[in-house]
Amino acid sequence: MKQEIEKLEKAVLEELKKASSSEGLKELEVKYFGRKGEFTAILKGLKDLSAEEKPVLGKLANITKVKLEKTIEAQRQKLEGSTLEKELKTEFFDTSIPGKTPKIGHIHPLSQVQEEVERIFSQMGFAIMDGPEVESEYYNFEGLNIPADHPARDMQDTFFIQDKNDPKHGHMVLRTHTSPVQIRTMEKYGAPLRIIVPGRVFRYEATDASHDTTFYQVEGLLIDKEISLSHLKGVMAEFLTRLFGNPVKVRFRPGYFPFVEPGLELDFSCLICNAKGCKVCKNTGWIEFMGAGMVHGNVLKAGGIDSKKYQGWAFGFGLTRLVMMRHAVSDIRLLTNGDLRFIKQF
Amino acid sequence: MYVSLDWLKDFVEIPSNLDPKDLADELTLKTAETEGVMNDAEKFENMVVGHVTELHPHPNADKLKIAKTSIGKDTHQIVCGGANLVEGMYVAVALPGSWVRWHGEGEPVKLEKAKIRGEESYGMICQSAEIGLDNPNEEPEDILDLSAQKPKPGTPISELFGESDTVIEFDNKSLTHRPDLWGHYGIAREIAAIKGYKFKELKPKFKAPEKGETVDVKIEDYDLCPRYCGLIINNIKVEDSPDWLKKRLKATGHGNHNNIVDVTNYVMTELGQPMHAFDKSYIKEGIIVRRAKKGEKITSLDGKKRELTQDMLVIADHEKPVAIAGVMGGENSEINSGTTSIILESANFNAASIRKTSTKLGVRTDAVQRFEKSLDPFMAELALKRAAEIILNICPGAEIAGSITDAEKFDKKPVKIKLDTDKTRSKIGVDISDKDIKKILESLEFIVSGSFEVTVPSFRSTKDVLIEDDLIEEVARIFGYENIPASLPMLPTKLPEENTERFKKHRTRELFSHALGFDEVYNYSFYGVKDIKNSLLSEEGHVKLLNYLSEDQTHMRTSLIPNLLKNLQLNIKYFDNSKIYEIGRTYKEIGEYFPLEEKFVGGAIIQKGKSDDPFYEAKGAVEAFFEKFNIRKIKVVKEIQNCPYGHPSKALTFLSKSGQTLAHVFTLHPQVQKNHDLNGYSIAMFEINFTEALKLDQPLRSYKSLPKFPSILLDVSVVIDQTKEIKTLREEIFKANKELIKKVDLFDIYEGENVEEGKKAVAFKVTMQAPDRTLTDEDMTKAQENIFKNLEALGGKIRGKA
Repeated sequence: MKQEIEKLEKAVLEELKKASSSEGLKELEVKYFGRKGEFTAILKGLKDLSAEEKPVLGKLANITKVKLEKTIEAQRQKLEGSTLEKELKTEFFDTSIPGKTPKIGHIHPLSQVQEEVERIFSQMGFAIMDGPEVESEYYNFEGLNIPADHPARDMQDTFFIQDKNDPKHGHMVLRTHTSPVQIRTMEKYGAPLRIIVPGRVFRYEATDASHDTTFYQVEGLLIDKEISLSHLKGVMAEFLTRLFGNPVKVRFRPGYFPFVEPGLELDFSCLICNAKGCKVCKNTGWIEFMGAGMVHGNVLKAGGIDSKKYQGWAFGFGLTRLVMMRHAVSDIRLLTNGDLRFIKQF
Repeated sequence: MYVSLDWLKDFVEIPSNLDPKDLADELTLKTAETEGVMNDAEKFENMVVGHVTELHPHPNADKLKIAKTSIGKDTHQIVCGGANLVEGMYVAVALPGSWVRWHGEGEPVKLEKAKIRGEESYGMICQSAEIGLDNPNEEPEDILDLSAQKPKPGTPISELFGESDTVIEFDNKSLTHRPDLWGHYGIAREIAAIKGYKFKELKPKFKAPEKGETVDVKIEDYDLCPRYCGLIINNIKVEDSPDWLKKRLKATGHGNHNNIVDVTNYVMTELGQPMHAFDKSYIKEGIIVRRAKKGEKITSLDGKKRELTQDMLVIADHEKPVAIAGVMGGENSEINSGTTSIILESANFNAASIRKTSTKLGVRTDAVQRFEKSLDPFMAELALKRAAEIILNICPGAEIAGSITDAEKFDKKPVKIKLDTDKTRSKIGVDISDKDIKKILESLEFIVSGSFEVTVPSFRSTKDVLIEDDLIEEVARIFGYENIPASLPMLPTKLPEENTERFKKHRTRELFSHALGFDEVYNYSFYGVKDIKNSLLSEEGHVKLLNYLSEDQTHMRTSLIPNLLKNLQLNIKYFDNSKIYEIGRTYKEIGEYFPLEEKFVGGAIIQKGKSDDPFYEAKGAVEAFFEKFNIRKIKVVKEIQNCPYGHPSKALTFLSKSGQTLAHVFTLHPQVQKNHDLNGYSIAMFEINFTEALKLDQPLRSYKSLPKFPSILLDVSVVIDQTKEIKTLREEIFKANKELIKKVDLFDIYEGENVEEGKKAVAFKVTMQAPDRTLTDEDMTKAQENIFKNLEALGGKIRGKA
């Protein structure tokens, strides 16, 4: 009888392998475990066994039965699973219908780049400052070492305000650069200082694709005890590298701005051609980026800072230009005319 | 400014194997920005003489011809539209690979082999202007005709027109602070210092008779004219300049006049010192340097009659002004073909005065450009001697009449600056030895004595090098900016103050753009009278521009609304519906020197067709803003002040507890809408005083414990007079059980079919909850009864009530 059980077990397992549908499984179950099934017959025959054999073979028969039933059940689940899978796979569902997006608006590219600039400089410990856009001649010019007859005032074509004059402040102007905030911040906080000033500036200048009366600048100022040009190189290389997500090199050239001495122009390596020379960098490998330099003693004095104790640098770059460069915008006026066909691209 | 390499070599020994491009690059990095290097051989690269052997009409174009052109060994087919082109003509051919400027305009383009209207063309036959030549006799449709010269086909064009010289162009702006660099002499000195080449000092051969005729010079105002050197030269013959002189002037961008005027220009270009020559026969008695008299007039060399003012300096004789000092000479004493005797002027004028006069008269000349930089008075005498030397050379009969008259009163004491070399190292951020610092300064002709007492040469001390930092700049640039390593400063232990307003501005953008679906716009800070009127604003309270570029940019905005309306006007062309906002400043005149600058968030919602939805969406947006920044205790009132562009009854004002206006929400005033051609649209707008609102924000919210017992919901639907406000209805519902009713949400308003005329059906969802127990049916029924009763008291009819 023992052999019989083992033989049947083998046979069941053998047939199980061949059963490829749930119907087949059902047949197999009936054949062995049905009322007239072969295994059922064995179980029925147990009662005719001797008292010694009964418990031993009975146990074996039961274990085998449970085992086989479990195996069959597992096989059934497997078969049914794949049937469901098959059904699901053949179901028609159009995934190409456009997704339902909530209406998301667009943040102006100037705001986006400005936030990025602020974030990077914040991480380097710079505070973000603000100042008035309608500014006095004193803060916009004299305080920055640009007296009335200075040729630099030519370069700063200025909007003046009607009927505003003050013995200390002079006429009132729309600030031509963010630099007045240098003096205002020095006056308010003294040294040391580590600030940037992103802001709107104005120039009385005919408008075309690359000039507008209104644009954005970012001013930077770092004043402490041992601040050098080497630090300016380091900070700007770090800033540009983080901004562009690629290693950027910077270089200095001599430049002239009345509020710094030494005065510099800063270029950065062209990312489009990898500094090999292309149309964008006019084949020089370098992009002109900003003016900078060591803060002029007269400016520190105007801000109430002792130039014997403290020294530092300042820079100013065009945020608008940076946005135009980044997004290949060819006409500056697109940034201020409110055309949504433009803004919706960002 | 153009600088000729050939000319530079008169003063500095430049090795012939030095690439001028490398030199220009080095000057850019150490001195001033160079904008290009022009070399004729390069300019005419791949351009040769061609001989048109056959000419055929172009099969596909009337105006074009096909020219078989021999360029020596080969003959090519070239398509050309030149009106004067004939068979047998000698022409300039630009071959593929050369750079030309189409019709002499725009950026140069590189030529390639091309098909023009289906016909092969190997390069082009050029107009003069297309290859950078100046030929005033050529008609606009003509090409350059070389037939008169009959050069051999294939001859490079550079052999015909080329000069062997190379010209470096400097960016004038980058020379603003360097008065010494406005001539070849100064640039040569700079190159000598940078490259360590030998500098050749100019020592003009000049000998004047000790006794003889001198110019009588009287300076009335030494502040405006610290030095005036004059010299008489007789026996002049005015004629064309010799070729060498013409060539140099041409290379540096100057025209030719006559030998005398050319020499003054030559000396200016060489030394940077402007000069002037008068025909002596027109000068009565002597020279007086004085301020112009009231109403005095002069006709300047450009033929324009100019009225002078008393702050302008003139050069006069004893009768009349003969020149506007340092700006332009007068016609009345101009050198002419009959001139035989001249007075040469080499003077120094006050930079600011020259600049002012030039700006006032609207004249900018080469002389102004130089004088306004503060020239070295010492240069005046050298320049005069140099000019005399050249005139004697090119005008064989000329004779110097007498000695130089030198009227002057200027400070000859050299500028001395003490240099702290430790500070120098600290500011540059590199370790340069004292020895090297000394070497650098000496290469630039500074004299260093002791432990760094530095004497500045006169040509640098007029304004360029006056303080210690100026010396540090000299050290840094010659040491080489490229040699300064990049390093990061130590972070301070004290962190900077946080600009929370900036931070919130960015959060506001995220709210409006990313959550509420608005697009952000940027507008100008100004608008015009028409915009003010169209928005029903008053001109009062505006800050006005004194100078402006257009009529729609005359007033500083006191509100963001007018420019937003212009945005709507623009965008309805492309979008039926849109939602926009701007965060920007307003500028209000408040009777003080500085106007009040406040930051606002302004927005607009526009929909095609008639609807009140935009108003409620705008209201929701403003409420979302207050919710986002947790600005509480806001009073909303149904009236608007200082909001003329709002529909008076479709508007709300949001007030702070203290009564400060924080925001307006409104449907656009129909008149304003009409003024902006926006009829057919529904428009609601808002303006939030960002500056004021953020004073009230509460960043922290405290937690309220979560309810322990379930809430129950109750629907109430009522038909009531249209004019009853939802606010009133909600209040009445709350009143029904102040303790248990937690929320009353409006979920429908309906007017129209099945609802009596003049009435509306309104439905609310009422949430009831108790903190200490589960509510019973009885609670609910009782509340419901009260609700019904209260609404009925308002004249409402409860729907679905038996």
